[in-house]
Amino acid sequence: MIQYRVLPGPEHFLPPSAASMGICLPNPGEGHINGVIVPEEKAYEEAAKQFLMAKVPTLFPGPLVLWAWNEKAAKKATAIRHLYNTLKECVQPGQTPMLIPMPDYRPKYPKINPEVEINPNHPNLTIWHNKIDCCMFIGVHCHQANLSLKIIRGGTACYTMAMCAQAGHEDAMLSFRDASVEKIMKLAEWVKKLKGTVQPQLTSAKSRASN
Amino acid sequence: MADTHSVIGTKNKKGQTFTDTWKMMNEAPRTPSFYTGSEVIKEALRRASCDVMIAYPITPQSEAAALIGELFAEGYIGDYFRGESEFAVMSQCAGAAFGGARVFTTTAGPGTMRAMENFPMWSGARLPIQMIVTCRGINSPLSIQPDTLEIAYLLNTGMLVWHAETAQDFFDWILMGYMVSEEPDVHLPLALCCDGFFVTHTKDVVNLTPADMCLPPYDPYRSPVPCMDMECPPVRMMRDPFVMKSNYISYATHASWQQEVWAAVERSRKHTIKWLNGLIETENGDAEVLIVASGTAVSQGREAIRLLEDEGIRCGLVKIKVLRPWPGEELREATKNAKHIIVPEFNVTGWLAKELKASLPRNERVHAGPHVCGGMTMPPEIIVSEIKTLLGMHTVSMASRG
Amino acid sequence: MSKERIKISEDLYDIMPSDYQDLVKSATYGKEDRGWKDIGNSKELIEQHSLCAGCPESMAFRYILASLPNPEDTVMVGSTGCTSLVFPMVAVHNIHSLFGNQNAIASGLKRALSVRFPGRTKDVVVLAGDGATVDIGLDMTLQAWFRQEKFTTICFDNELYANTGGQESGLMQKGFVAKMAPVGKLFDKVRLPEIARESGCHYVVQCTVSKPSLVEKVIKNAVMIAREIGPTYLQLYTPCILEIGKNSMEGLQEMRDSEKPTERFAYKEYISEPAKQLLAEMAAKAQEKKAAAKQLAAQGA
Repeated sequence: MIQYRVLPGPEHFLPPSAASMGICLPNPGEGHINGVIVPEEKAYEEAAKQFLMAKVPTLFPGPLVLWAWNEKAAKKATAIRHLYNTLKECVQPGQTPMLIPMPDYRPKYPKINPEVEINPNHPNLTIWHNKIDCCMFIGVHCHQANLSLKIIRGGTACYTMAMCAQAGHEDAMLSFRDASVEKIMKLAEWVKKLKGTVQPQLTSAKSRASN
Repeated sequence: MADTHSVIGTKNKKGQTFTDTWKMMNEAPRTPSFYTGSEVIKEALRRASCDVMIAYPITPQSEAAALIGELFAEGYIGDYFRGESEFAVMSQCAGAAFGGARVFTTTAGPGTMRAMENFPMWSGARLPIQMIVTCRGINSPLSIQPDTLEIAYLLNTGMLVWHAETAQDFFDWILMGYMVSEEPDVHLPLALCCDGFFVTHTKDVVNLTPADMCLPPYDPYRSPVPCMDMECPPVRMMRDPFVMKSNYISYATHASWQQEVWAAVERSRKHTIKWLNGLIETENGDAEVLIVASGTAVSQGREAIRLLEDEGIRCGLVKIKVLRPWPGEELREATKNAKHIIVPEFNVTGWLAKELKASLPRNERVHAGPHVCGGMTMPPEIIVSEIKTLLGMHTVSMASRG
Repeated sequence: MSKERIKISEDLYDIMPSDYQDLVKSATYGKEDRGWKDIGNSKELIEQHSLCAGCPESMAFRYILASLPNPEDTVMVGSTGCTSLVFPMVAVHNIHSLFGNQNAIASGLKRALSVRFPGRTKDVVVLAGDGATVDIGLDMTLQAWFRQEKFTTICFDNELYANTGGQESGLMQKGFVAKMAPVGKLFDKVRLPEIARESGCHYVVQCTVSKPSLVEKVIKNAVMIAREIGPTYLQLYTPCILEIGKNSMEGLQEMRDSEKPTERFAYKEYISEPAKQLLAEMAAKAQEKKAAAKQLAAQGA
């Protein structure tokens, strides 16, 4: 049997959930890349590389961090801003980091404005419109994150990552678990560390995102 | 805000200590106690830090549901009331779970069927409600007697479905069940089934954990979906909106939602294996004749094996503890050397044999039967007789006992 | 949730859609005397909706959301129907689960919130159509009242099943010809307000939503009485202009015509003795406050 791997799409009219293909979530201290469990350090390195390679590396903060409903949430928001600023500082000309919120999960009529937000019911609109070729979800409720990740994998070539506060996401191509302020800051450190060492894939990124 | 871990070691209002569940279940001393299955349910609930229990009378779960009422009167349960029907009760359970409570209920047979519309809603809404199902007959004419047909209907709801054999299973699994179904990557309802009367109304020695220890409380803010209490974001939030009315690839959203529910069932595998020490248990696994069963059919199978041994026939046993997620891998491994797979069941359609036939290679090895239903007992001798017939041996007819 | 906790993380404020920036800046969460007059001066708790143009339900939604006494601590429960297309746009947590089980959901919800937040206000308000309330969900509607569950039930009475295309409902008038009533409805409009009174509701009102001030008054009364005493029931006429052959502009007139003293939506009210007492106390307190404010103003002058 060929081992299933979680890879950038477009995968299928209705791609399977990674869990149904035997992909398991990481244990504490681990992450996964393409469905393969790796030590967390490896996931930091790969996530930073993916950001630095992408033409439009994008952060999608969700309601759990957009709203200052507790102290931790507000601190995470600060860390996310820092990560975004770090991306901006570390990319090369031609790369355009973005920070786009997923403010809620409601279906919107007639449709969302893909320039200002992403929505779990049709996340591909935002990916397509902004030609996003690499993204990370942070602070989205797990159920909604999985819907988004699967729909993105189904219809776009975007490389998806998740900085999950709970058990992680096997429907992303790369996932952290037990996300904290420290982990977000550490990822920013890795981006800084790898600055200039990764060649952006600008031309291929464009064709990938337009799929 | 509730934080599950920070309360460990502190006491609740009844003086019970919130205890790390692994320690409570695996390291704390156990006291052997002689109880009916219904009383065991009560004792498990005493230790479950349950917020809301909703009851409705239907045989054979009425006693358990009433006993939990006594626990409420003693102050062990946050709230408790009798609903007006199983449909309503399951919706009331949903309401309480939407509001962030740890919820428990019990039902049986026609009650399960009446409430059925709620179950896919529960799993779609990711509500980790625990429901005890004390199986009984569901068809007309009415029967209150043991019959496991209703489990077949639960298998496609997106709920976790476990099938207890004994009262000891029941005690442990009620408490462990919350640990599995409340995991954020699972967060699904659990139907914890047993065969009515055989388990609920018979007395057995059950090893109980200390009564002064209880589970850590449920933390609704680890849920994969927002809790409906106006304490967490987003504030503009409907559980659950009609995604099919969103006008762009909306059906894909609904399809992905369904896939996510079943993905969560899959994710429960890892946690269930940890807590239950596997989804199946095997005895004499290398035997050429294997009985594969769930519920009290396992006990009858065990007796049959003993009888067969007396006659020099070696027979093995596979106890299926968990039906959802389905232990396909484990069963393929456990039955790889078997020539005959016997599936005794307490229902007329043989749903377990069908499941096995669908997932085992060389499925002509699967023998669906013996079956009893409508409250009939399953004497081990009829399993013995079925096996001997399969092996081409002479066997005495059991018809005179029918 | 206190009003202070409905706020956007500072470091991500600039990227939030303007709808939410407005909600945080000028919605009336936590405002003590919030009401229908805030409409137009503040951010409403309802964003866009997908109801038909001119649908009186949309008016009703706006008045009700403007009038809830504690939206920051209110959870609403809906049911299947036109209302469920509006609820995703409402800025209080709300639940849809099945068709007709709204009062069962609310019963479990209210009890869970009482267990989890003892000593705190957590209002539960059900809002469902007449099919959900009176037909498929009648059992659970009544049983919640029998049990004296402490939440408000609001029925949007449009006298038919609107979302499925205009079928007969229990609250439809006798003789009305509709889908599934091909020769006209054969029995009378179910008298749910009277049944509500007999079932233990402490406050029952039947009216239309033609007057926002009236909607505000009955919503506030119903929620406060439910919070302190027991179940309350409001039956609000929100005609389905589409199914009764009216134009978008005619909803208001239809309600005005139907609320005349001799018509079927003439104002009807029942208040139990304990509820009367509570309302009197509330009125006295409001009076006192007014007087104190007046005095303060006079001193200031």
